[in-house]
Parts: sequence; C-alpha cells; structure tokens
Amino acid sequence: GCGLPDNCTNRDAAPASWRRDLIAKKKERKLAHANHAQRPLLIGICTGFIAQRGRYKPGAVTDMSPAGCPHVNGFKVDNWKQNLRVIYQCFVWTRKRKAKSCICHMCGAHLNRLHSCLSCVFFACFAKKHIHEHAKSKRHNLAIDLLYGGIYCFMCQDYIYDKDMEQIAKEEQRKAWKMQGMTRTHTQRHTHHVKAKYSTWEPTKRELELLRHNPKRRRITSNCTIGLRGLINLGNTCFMNCIVQALTHTPLLRDFFLSDRHKCEMQSNSCLVCEMSQLFQEFYSGHRSPHIPFRLLHLVWTHARHLAGYEQQDAHEFLIAALDVLHRHCKDDNGKKANNPNHCNCIIDQIFTGGLQSDVTCQVCHGVSTTIDPFWDISLDLPGSSTPFWPLSPGGDGSALNGESHATGATTLTDCLRRFTRPEHLGSSAKIKCSGCHSYQESTKQLTMKKLPIVACFHVKRFEHSAKLRRKITTYVSFPLELDMTPFMASSKESRMNGQYQQAVDPFNNDNKYSLFAVVNHQGTLESGHYTTFIRQHKDQWFKCDDAIITKASIQDVLDSEGYLLFYHKQFLEYE
Amino acid sequence: MSNEGRMRATVNQKLTEMGERERLKELLRAKLTECGWKDQMKAHCKEVIKDKGLEHVTVEDLVAEITPIGRALVPDSVKKELFHRIKAFLAQHA
Repeated sequence: GCGLPDNCTNRDAAPASWRRDLIAKKKERKLAHANHAQRPLLIGICTGFIAQRGRYKPGAVTDMSPAGCPHVNGFKVDNWKQNLRVIYQCFVWTRKRKAKSCICHMCGAHLNRLHSCLSCVFFACFAKKHIHEHAKSKRHNLAIDLLYGGIYCFMCQDYIYDKDMEQIAKEEQRKAWKMQGMTRTHTQRHTHHVKAKYSTWEPTKRELELLRHNPKRRRITSNCTIGLRGLINLGNTCFMNCIVQALTHTPLLRDFFLSDRHKCEMQSNSCLVCEMSQLFQEFYSGHRSPHIPFRLLHLVWTHARHLAGYEQQDAHEFLIAALDVLHRHCKDDNGKKANNPNHCNCIIDQIFTGGLQSDVTCQVCHGVSTTIDPFWDISLDLPGSSTPFWPLSPGGDGSALNGESHATGATTLTDCLRRFTRPEHLGSSAKIKCSGCHSYQESTKQLTMKKLPIVACFHVKRFEHSAKLRRKITTYVSFPLELDMTPFMASSKESRMNGQYQQAVDPFNNDNKYSLFAVVNHQGTLESGHYTTFIRQHKDQWFKCDDAIITKASIQDVLDSEGYLLFYHKQFLEYE
Repeated sequence: MSNEGRMRATVNQKLTEMGERERLKELLRAKLTECGWKDQMKAHCKEVIKDKGLEHVTVEDLVAEITPIGRALVPDSVKKELFHRIKAFLAQHA
C-alpha cells in the first residue's frame, strides 16, 4: 500500500508532506504513462452484491457490525450468556439431536423448523406458527432456530443478528466442530484431524471500505484474456520477460498479490515484492498494450548485480535470483516473527520450496547418512552432455505412469528424473568418511524427493559450460501435461528397498500429481538466442508469450517444443 | 396426529436415533451441491433480495419464495437415491 486513496475525505486535514508526496507520485505516474491504478482492483470476488448481515444503508459509510434489535435487552440479564451457551451446546450444535426431547410441545412434530423459546423451556415448530402463539401469550419475544442457531425476534418479525449473541454462537460452533472432528476418522482415507471447518470468505471492514471506494468490477469469463499482457524487450531482456510471464501465471502467486497480501515494511522504494505486486496489477488491469518493465529491470540490477548489463543472461539464473530477492524482501515482513531464519514462511517458500533428501550409504557397514536440503528447482542432465547418461529402457516404471511418448525413442522428463534419483556409486577416488566404520569408505549416494513444493520447476541443462566446451544441447525432451512424482519420492524408495519392487499405484492418492502450466523455451545458440514462454490460461488454453507479442497456441505446440524450464503446479492442495 | 403423521414421526425417530438421518443429510447436501441445485437456489435468493430490496427483505420472505422452487428443482435421480437408501435402512433395522 502507498498512501491514502485520492478521494479520501481527510485530505485537507493531512500534513503538508503527505500532500507533497501525493503530488510527486501523480507526476511520476504521468511520466511513466502508467494507467490510473490508484488502489488495487479486487477482481473476481464480487459477482453481484455482498451478502451482509445487519442493516445496510446505501451511501453512508455505516458501521457494519450486527446491530441486533432493542428487544434483546430484556433477555440480556443475569446469567444470560451461560444459558445461551448451554442452549447452543445441547440443542443446536449437536449431531445427536435428542430425538425424544426435541419435539414441538404443541403438536409433537420434530421437524417444521423447530425453535426453542429463549425465556423458558418450550420447543415449538415455526412452520405451523406454534412458537408464535407461545411468544404472544407469554410475551417471550425471542426464540432460537434449533437447526441453524438463528435468533428470531417476534417484535421485529425477522431474524436479528446481535453481535454478542453471534459471537457466542460462533464460539460454540467451533468447539462442537473440534469435538466432532476428532471422531470423524473412519470415513476418510487419511486420518486427518479436522481442526477447523471451512467457513466462507467474508470481507473485513477495511475490505468493504476498499470495495466501496472502488466500484469498478471485472467479470472473468472463460474466454476473456485478462492476465495476458506483452512485455517490451529493453535490450536482450527476454530472459527476464519469459520468467515474468511464468510467475504472473502461477496461480497461487497471482492470488497472493491480487488479494493485496504483501504488507511492505521496507523503508526505501526498492522492495522487489512491491514491484511484483505492481506488476500483477499491470497484468490484470485489462490493458492490452505491452507493459514496459523498466522499474523491474532496474530493481533486478540493483539487487542481483551479476545479472546487470545489457548482455543476454540465462533465464534459469534470473529465476533463481528473482526468487531469492523476493524471498529476502518478503522475509523482512515476517522476519520478526520467524525464530528460525531457515524456516521462512514467506509466500515464495510456501509455493516454491521443496526438500531434497540425500542418502549416502556406506558400502561396508551399510550405514546411511541422510541430509535434507531445500530446493527451488531441479536441474536435470541430458544425454549428449559430457556427463554420462544411461538411457533407461522405454516403458519402464514412471514413463508409463506419466503417459509420455516413447514412440521415437525420445528422452522423456521421467527418464531424466529417474536418472536424477538413481543410486550413484561414488568411485574409489571419492571416499566418504563413514561415522560407523570410522574410516573412509566407498559409498553410494541417492537423491529423492522428501517434500514436494507446490510449484515444481524443472531445469533442463541445455547449456554446457565445461572447460573445453561451451555449447547448447538441443536434444528434444518429451514432457507430459500431467506428472506424477510418486516414483521419485523418498517414501517410494523406502518401500522399494523393503522388497516391494512394483510400486502399486494408489488411485486415491493425489498428493503427488502435478499439472504443467508454463514452459520456457530457448531458440538459437549459446551466443545469440531468444527466450519465449508458453503459459496456460483457463485450464486448457495455452498462449505463447514472445516479448510484446502474445499469440494463441495449441497444446501440441507446447508439447512439441524443446523445453528448457518446465513449471508444474500441484493438482491438489491440502490444508496444513 | 394422523396415521401417516405418526408413521412419519416413527421413521424419523428411528433414523435420528441411529445416526442415519445425519448421514442422509450429508449425502443429500453433497448431491445437491454436485448437481448445481445449491447454486440455483443461491441465484434465486439474490433475485428475491433484489426484488424486495436489501433493507426490507426478511428471512420469511425468502423462505416463502424459494421453498416451492427448491422442492420443484430437486432432480428425480436424487430423490430416487434417497428413497432407496431409506427403504434399505428400514428393511435392515425395522
């Protein structure tokens, strides 16, 4: 966020310096030809009106807390809170609705929207107006709906929402869910403890304010092109443009920035996360003219010196550098809360960080030394590189799972992954000190996935920079639209070691399934080349982003491309 | 209470006691969401609120307007499935 909105009514009362800043910002905007993005546009959430509780007065900015009605005051005496809690606990938020006692005292029915009088022990149905009769004759104005917990006021003739009573209702409901969650294990495959039941999103006071100040709404249809925008090449900057396209189409990252979740605590103007946020605003603004990312480029040069200059850089290097800077700038937000500097919970880590397990097995005592390292990407060797590559027979496990084409004997992504996770014998010249044997022994090393990231990025090592050679390997690698990482998990390897060689595919286990959503390609040679990106929109539409030019692409175009950086997104997300 | 009313009450009581009512409710909830009924009802509610005005509409208005629509829009397949489950349950536990 940066400053108050333009139509803020407190402008005149604000200090002079604030006004100076606002004028300076306006000038800057004019110079940059930027569009009038005063406040973030909250897109897609509103599809009509906002369901509000309490009385709504259009126009005036009202306090949105539930107002209740004046008739509750008669009820709110003595020990009313505790009494109300008991009613919620025993009669409303209970699964074992007491069949015998929860019936209408007048007609014996226990459906028909049973209500309980709040002033005395009396249950009666609503549909047949039995509770109304009771209310009238006894002058007990309030009743509670035993099914949904709503409080009805007979004087107001409607359900009322009193802040205090709503709070009690919510608290008791949460308690009840917790208790019920503990016993609900037999119906689920995994014994998940249901900690908190899902509750629908409701806007906060601040969000309501923002929505009112910004009445413009945008409807997302299945064929709209919002989110697609070209990027001007500022001189060999396609290495940056291609990564920006991939990042702006990473669903979780997009959601994070469009819901304005970054609260900047950096003093200077050089926060890369703020710039990313601004970038998302540009991409989803609906403007079709290409965007000029000069500010982004400048910030990248500032924070990643090794990428500065007008030469062509490596897109993969840019990706890692960008993630690193974003992670560092994000960390400033929660750095204060994080006790362990390695255990950052910023959005970059949440989305991109996985855990790579390395097992070193001593050949003599068979002791295993395990380490787990975080990773943002997996770099895969190719056949034809100077490092030896043993192509595995087609149709082996993994490839069949991922449906890759072995028709032409092409190398597949799965082949590369299998090679990456195969046990490697470290030769006699690379002995490791074994803590079991207390001496240097030969060993084997194996890499497997311990923790999968939400977004997995595979880097196909096409650029060879060895002492003698500098070249690009153009071997085609076939990659799938959907990828199952199960065969490469640390847990799979363990079960394989226990003698279960044929890993039975569990059709209900969706944890390791990924979908392709972006592909970065490099055309040309090591000396002069060009980067482009295919990105996925609306589930099955693909577009090619070539700097300022965006064109529609077919799935076959994407799958036939060479593939340099492959971005996969987890299909199923779980709550922690 | 009529005979039918009494039978209904007995069946309901049995279902509730054995927890089957809750299970059927969950099943029904899932089915109605899957087939889009819930979304249809939501849309109807919004229509009613727009018609009556947000400031004046009461819960009763909504209930009165959408209950007949809701009942009419439940797909036959859902009704059949629920019916068979109740029948099977009673056969097993009567």
